[in-house]
Amino acid sequence: MAALLSEEDRKYLVDLFEKELKGEVKILFFGSKKKEECEYCELTEQILQELAETSNKITIENHDFDDEEALAKQYNVEMVPAILMLDANGKDMRIRFYGIPSGYEFSSLIEDVIATSKNGAVELSKDTIEKLQDVKSPLKLQVFVTPTCPYCPKAVLMAHKLAMQSSNIVGEMIEANEFPDLSMQYNVSSVPHIIINDGEGEFVGALPEEAFVEQVISVVKEA
Amino acid sequence: MPLFNLSNVSKPVELNYDVAIVGAGPGGLSAAIYAGRAGLKTIVFEKATEGGQILLTDMIEDYPGFTSISGNALADEFLSHAKAFGANFANEEIVEVDLESNPKKLKTDLGNEYTAKTVVIATGSNPKKLGVKGEDEFLNRGVSYCAVCDGSFFKGKRVVVVGGGDSAVEEGLYMTKIANEVTLVHRRDKLRAQKIAQDRAFKSNMKFIWNTVVTEIGGTKNVEYVILKNVQTGETTKHETDGVFIYVGLTPNVEIFKKYIKTDENGFILADDHMETNVKGVYAVGDIRKTPLRQIVTAASDGAIAVIDMTKYF
Ligand SMILES: Cc1cc2nc3c(=O)[nH]c(=O)nc-3n(C[C@H](O)[C@H](O)[C@H](O)COP(=O)(O)OP(=O)(O)OC[C@H]3O[C@@H](n4cnc5c(N)ncnc54)[C@H](O)[C@@H]3O)c2cc1C
Repeated sequence: MAALLSEEDRKYLVDLFEKELKGEVKILFFGSKKKEECEYCELTEQILQELAETSNKITIENHDFDDEEALAKQYNVEMVPAILMLDANGKDMRIRFYGIPSGYEFSSLIEDVIATSKNGAVELSKDTIEKLQDVKSPLKLQVFVTPTCPYCPKAVLMAHKLAMQSSNIVGEMIEANEFPDLSMQYNVSSVPHIIINDGEGEFVGALPEEAFVEQVISVVKEA
Repeated sequence: MPLFNLSNVSKPVELNYDVAIVGAGPGGLSAAIYAGRAGLKTIVFEKATEGGQILLTDMIEDYPGFTSISGNALADEFLSHAKAFGANFANEEIVEVDLESNPKKLKTDLGNEYTAKTVVIATGSNPKKLGVKGEDEFLNRGVSYCAVCDGSFFKGKRVVVVGGGDSAVEEGLYMTKIANEVTLVHRRDKLRAQKIAQDRAFKSNMKFIWNTVVTEIGGTKNVEYVILKNVQTGETTKHETDGVFIYVGLTPNVEIFKKYIKTDENGFILADDHMETNVKGVYAVGDIRKTPLRQIVTAASDGAIAVIDMTKYF
């Protein structure tokens, strides 16, 4: 198959990773051979492969969602295609991409690789870090996106940063078009749409950090 | 658009600059190109994705040099052009400014405090709300302001587009490729959009309801109908629909500057012929400015004028 990354983008990534990657990053990919159930698995696998080729610090582990049930369960992978990242110590960064990270979301994937290489050290305000200490039980943030939505990466990255910062938070990107049933269940019709703890809370829009955290914390406080 | 887009990847942080440009739409990016070429140490802040509102449209046909180009591709050209001449980029939102201090201070949502000798306000505009009952309630249930973002949720469904300007007509046309039925509701009896867009709309299967305003958006779980009022007869009707796309004008992103900067009654910034505002060394370019035309070409032009003038401070 022809390369998905242009030569220019490939060079850009080689350069960027050369400068930015501190430690090793392991990307776990879960796919399915059943094409009718996972239209974008093949394409996702290929873009990850090309990504891995831009730096020797990045490795990809491909897994089959149907054949490796136990592993999928261990990582709480619920659907495919799924991507998650482990740092050099094998620590799960608690971020998930469900659906292909294409369009603007490709940038989110790159930012996550860089953060993972720094063991999940992310830039957040002092205020946020303090507030996150109130999150004492598991909290799931699902960010529904479309690849053509320019506001969406901001929300995805915010959810992913919170997940890297707080060991109780899982942050997911969900490509809404690829999971129509789930999108329908949560009435997604305008993105980014953020679902907190399977529907305990929700909001729409790429809010700035403080407001985003406020929304998340309000669910924690209610519980 | 390119299948894999890298424009959001941000750069390492450095805090002090000659020029701070707030917003990476065409106005901000044009200013960044000129500032880079003038040898000024430049940073551009963008809270969403570089490109600004041009990312919200499918095709652009009125920016010189490109007979037809996708908004995304044009944004990419602007961005790589600005980067080629050395502008720095930060994916941060400016949340607070001090424009009276010297140098000027800009605080971001990540808590970083940057300084710059001059500031270009290029924060553009956001879609204006209709301000009717149900608009907020159904915001995530069928009301949208961005067809390219949310259009795919309305495959095979019925949508109403509100407005009669370029954006309403162009985005309505975009929706005719996705939705089953597109009805444009306009408060006047003719469109304000450019002639060529009008011609295409009339040739398409788009339906039109003239002299009519939306007074309410309603439904149970999702949008199911809009209430329409004919402005001439006063008659109201219920029109069934699954989605409402609103293109009824712009509101300027000016809140954080209001304390320092003079605006007109609608919040658009007043600048002189050189784009300088009432505060020395602070410029306003593009959609944010009180200007007779809000387009890519005019935003780009503003950016150039501002930076050439600004060189007097260096
Ligand atoms: C649907 C649609 C279709 C259009 N079609 C055309 C067309 O075909 N041809 C044409 O010429 N024009 C078109 N326009 C108009 C054109 O897009 C605008 O005139 C132009 O983008 C204005 O540029 P700008 O740089 O002033 O602002 P914007 O493009 O609005 O960019 C401002 C940027 O600033 C960012 N920002 C705002 N506040 C902050 C902050 N506090 N901190 C950091 N960043 C911030 C925003 O996220 C945004 O990216 C269209 C507009 C729309 C909405």
